[in-house]
Amino acid sequence: MIWLITSALLFATGAYGALTRRTAILVFLSIELMLNAANLSLISFAKLTGSLDAQVVTLFVIAIAAAEVAVGLGLIVAIFRRRETTSVDDLRGLRG
Amino acid sequence: MAVNFWDILAAVLLVGTGIMVVRLQNAVHAAIALIANFLVIAAVYVGLEARFVAMTQIIVYGGAIVVLFLFVIMLLSAAKANVGEDLLPGLQIPALISALGLAGVLIYALTRFQGPANPPALNGGLAQALGPLLYSPERWMYALLVVGFLLLVATVAAVVLVEPERLTRATEHPAHPAKGGEPSPKDEKEVVRR
Repeated sequence: MIWLITSALLFATGAYGALTRRTAILVFLSIELMLNAANLSLISFAKLTGSLDAQVVTLFVIAIAAAEVAVGLGLIVAIFRRRETTSVDDLRGLRG
Repeated sequence: MAVNFWDILAAVLLVGTGIMVVRLQNAVHAAIALIANFLVIAAVYVGLEARFVAMTQIIVYGGAIVVLFLFVIMLLSAAKANVGEDLLPGLQIPALISALGLAGVLIYALTRFQGPANPPALNGGLAQALGPLLYSPERWMYALLVVGFLLLVATVAAVVLVEPERLTRATEHPAHPAKGGEPSPKDEKEVVRR
């Protein structure tokens, strides 16, 4: 049960970072923290219910996080080449 | 589940390194704090009978993903890894209130969970226990195939996104000329050949 509470605290910490960080890479780093909090809760649910399916889902989450990091960092590099900044304050082209 | 000293220590380490990730001013330091967080999480996984997932966590997260982050941080801002001030001071307090509210709601929801009284053992969560689930067609095999294809697509997408030639082609008729990419001799050769 302590790990469920810890995962909730970690998730909230990552959400705080994603809200307050200004550099796009650091926003992304906070999102990784939130993904890991979700993984931690999945693993502790597997322990609490005695089912291995949650551990298999955790493996899928890890694989999809790797894919997400590849695409996201590629986007950040492409944006930096075009705009010479990755500050999310300066990327307001979609505001209209 | 009895809570002992090591559980408390690991939980404090997890939350402490998490706060370091979101508060440190230097991007490289934040990434290294994230590595520490991942390693402590892997240790917790071993304690929770998920040893295969713990090894995967160390290899994929601590080994591959954070190194990718460090590469990109150093590629983009080698001179200024120090990101300085965060957002406006006016946003710190609302974000803190939102995060605390989110933590409260999540803790309330998660602590109401009631599992079975005597859950079956997990065989340590080793590969021998996970493999039959992962590769049997009536459980997770098709999901595994889809995730593998997704990884292939993501790899191709990452290569296409950062391809330099595509960027120069896109900026051939710019509204205002690109400030960054100085045309290299290779690019001029490409244009002549076309």
